[in-house]
Amino acid sequence: MESDSHTWNLVFLQLVLEELGHRVTNLGACVPDQVLVDRCRLPPPDLIVISSVNGHGYNDGMRLIRMLRSQSELAVTPIVIGGKLGIGGADDLRYSGALLAAGFDAVFQDTAGIESFRSYARSLSGQAS
Amino acid sequence: MTIDISSAGRIVPIEPAPGSFGGFVARARRSGGLVVQPRMGMSSPRTMREGLAATRDASATTVGTITLDSYTRVGGHSAARQALADGVDLNGYPIVAHDRDVTRGVLRGVRAANFPVQVRHGSAAPQDIFAALVAAGLDATEGGPVSYCLPYSRTPIRESVDNWVQCCEMLAERAGPGVEPHLETFGGCMLGQLCPPSLLVAISALEAMFFVQHGLRSVSLSYAQQTNPAQDEEAVRALRRIAAHFLPGIDWHVVIYTYMGVYPRTPGGARGLLEAAARLAVRSGSERLIVKTEAEAHRIPTIAENVMALEAAAAVAVAERDRLQPAGLDDTGVYAEARALVDAVLSLDPDIGRGLTLAFERGYLDVPYCLHPDNLGRTRSSIDSDGRLRWASIGSMPIGHLVAAAKPRTVTSSDLLRALSYVEREFDDAALNHSNRRHLADSLSHRPDDTAETTMTEPNTTGAGVPDGFPASPREHLSSPVTRTVLRIQHRMLTAAREHLSAQGFVEMLPPMIGPVTDPGARGAKQIDIDYYGHRYKLMTSAILYKQASLLAFDKIFYVAPNVRLEPLETSTTGRHLAEFHQIDVEVAGASRDDILHILEDLVRGIVRRVVEEMPDELEFLGRDTSAFTELLSRPFERRTHAAAVRDLHDIGHDQSPEAEIDWQAEVKLSRKVSHPLFVTDYPKGSRGFYDRESRTSPGQLCNFDLIAPEGYGELCSGSEREHEYGRIVSRMRETGENPAKYGWYLQLVREGIPSSAGFGLGLERLTRYVTGLDAVWQANAYPKLPGVKSP
Repeated sequence: MESDSHTWNLVFLQLVLEELGHRVTNLGACVPDQVLVDRCRLPPPDLIVISSVNGHGYNDGMRLIRMLRSQSELAVTPIVIGGKLGIGGADDLRYSGALLAAGFDAVFQDTAGIESFRSYARSLSGQAS
Repeated sequence: MTIDISSAGRIVPIEPAPGSFGGFVARARRSGGLVVQPRMGMSSPRTMREGLAATRDASATTVGTITLDSYTRVGGHSAARQALADGVDLNGYPIVAHDRDVTRGVLRGVRAANFPVQVRHGSAAPQDIFAALVAAGLDATEGGPVSYCLPYSRTPIRESVDNWVQCCEMLAERAGPGVEPHLETFGGCMLGQLCPPSLLVAISALEAMFFVQHGLRSVSLSYAQQTNPAQDEEAVRALRRIAAHFLPGIDWHVVIYTYMGVYPRTPGGARGLLEAAARLAVRSGSERLIVKTEAEAHRIPTIAENVMALEAAAAVAVAERDRLQPAGLDDTGVYAEARALVDAVLSLDPDIGRGLTLAFERGYLDVPYCLHPDNLGRTRSSIDSDGRLRWASIGSMPIGHLVAAAKPRTVTSSDLLRALSYVEREFDDAALNHSNRRHLADSLSHRPDDTAETTMTEPNTTGAGVPDGFPASPREHLSSPVTRTVLRIQHRMLTAAREHLSAQGFVEMLPPMIGPVTDPGARGAKQIDIDYYGHRYKLMTSAILYKQASLLAFDKIFYVAPNVRLEPLETSTTGRHLAEFHQIDVEVAGASRDDILHILEDLVRGIVRRVVEEMPDELEFLGRDTSAFTELLSRPFERRTHAAAVRDLHDIGHDQSPEAEIDWQAEVKLSRKVSHPLFVTDYPKGSRGFYDRESRTSPGQLCNFDLIAPEGYGELCSGSEREHEYGRIVSRMRETGENPAKYGWYLQLVREGIPSSAGFGLGLERLTRYVTGLDAVWQANAYPKLPGVKSP
């Protein structure tokens, strides 16, 4: 997302997904909203992963999911978000509910560890095959 | 090749004006001092001024820094102004949002000929910033068309190059009497970590040439500390050699950045890393060092923390200079690789900016793990076993002829995580080890002898006790400096064992874990039944039967085998029993007991020697005095028959049956009486399983042995010649109450013929405990399972 210039998290996720047999287009850091939307429309991917670690993930995620879900091509595409979504504390749990309600298929808080994301990605592969 | 990179075509080296940034550093170099500099930036002009003054007044040769905030870096000047109006603290000094007179006020009376000030930012489109710093009378800053574009922005390189051309020209125009503008490359940093040194050197050098091509006459070339001191030193030497060649007539120096990746979290670790950076700067002949503070991993440091870091680095630099250690002479090819990259870029276009753009387009330059759309992303890097950064994949970079083992290697997600935290772990571990040394020495004054005594005089009759110090959680255990040190030693022991045995022609095989039946001879221990597709199978208590079978494949084999034994509950506090443990299992076709004793003795001596010679620091950390091994390493192990050992035990008042296994309490007593490893041989038939060969000359006596460690550590190993004849095995089975029908697969093999053999199983955790001098064997296992104790 546009406000986040961290990239090691994105590199790591790319490797995790590749190890599960996925082909990954990594849009990198500081992605403007429109760049993400345009890239996701044609052709829609099997999964859109948004990772944010700068503490603005909740705000940016709420804005992005509305934009993405408003595209008819992306109405049912799995879209997930994860990382450090708030600046810590109990609010982060409340964020998950709101992000799910807004249209994300899964929310992975940074405290949950990578395994929950791995098993989610695995379950998608299962559906596909 | 040479190329005219100086637009003015100067060839006479300039002497930068004494009051200029380059002039100040040049003067410090002549007097032998390292210039140190903070990464300091505060949003309030008053605090910024205090910070500069404190930097100037530190006991060190310093230059000042104004680091800009993140709004200003991305051109968000109105957001920065709003924050200032709202009284919100920014993470740096907003030089564009502040009026130029405010900045002049910050500098007035602080910046001087003996205290130059540099602006640090991080912007790929820094025209506003350059205009603001020039307006405030400043003339030193840093960055570069590649280094501030690829890692932190989506700005196309082509645009970034244009931006930096403008900025260089804007800055160079400031040159005049007493003024020599200075620009530092940020190219020695690229993503902060995991960029191999040759590429850092090349980009740093190319950015300096770019600056010079656009009018600068005083530049510095950066290099950020990476993972291995010798490699870094080699890299800086390469950088200097390339600068000397390509920057004739230019005032240049090298600036070292203290590590820019994931930073140690402990104060000691952070200090250690800064000290290593200061030593690198001195050893590599660098002129300037940018420091980091102990707060780096946690928050923006205070002024006082910055000053502490400056003074600490300066003190280490003085000490390092006085050590007069010869500079390293490593040549692992960093220069050749960097030079090949520089030459390739220069050959693309006489205009270095265009050359850089083309080089990324074609993948001549390709930064590993960089996600910028203009970076091809075909390269990968990893960290070697000795901590050096190396190429895992070079993509299209023109260094295939220079990179050893250019075959691409896969870097997994977990490799990446480990690599990213490599430096943090190394330095935090060292700091933790150091601070725990005293605490540990106290806890280790509790010797195993005492443990044994306590255990024997107060036997635990209540069932499953848990010894003091047993970890509350896997996290506590795995992250403990003791565990980590012990496991590192254990790793070395296994490496030594594998190399030792392999060199003698042994083949390592992987043992089975599940079988219809397992070794029945584990004294007093129960076996674990599992449901194997409706059959009642066992987990291996030991793999002796399979070792015999394995000799059908090779004459000399070994396993590093996991074993599971439900030991009696009362053994949970012996310090010597685990429900799950490992053995180095060896079996040799045609060998006699004497043969196998020699093999075992050599193996143990080889393992111990390896640890004593290669890991003295770790042993010292654990409080293990290596003089304990002097006898072991220098003379043959003792031998005593079971009958003689029983007599000895009777002599010291222990009621040991001559017909039975020596119990673990008696083993400890024997062990405490000797200062040297002891073989106990010739156990009575009935004390061991059917596979231990009965003597043909002394019936009732087995051709077997145990190895007992000195100092109270007890039994390390059991072994024997094996029965291998069908008839004898079946009758021994019947004598020991075993049902031959259960051993169908084994007896089938035996009937068809298996070699005679001898072998042993050397307890890995027990040997580790003895070598490291631990209180208890569970400390030598990552996931210890004490008998009867619930464990992960």
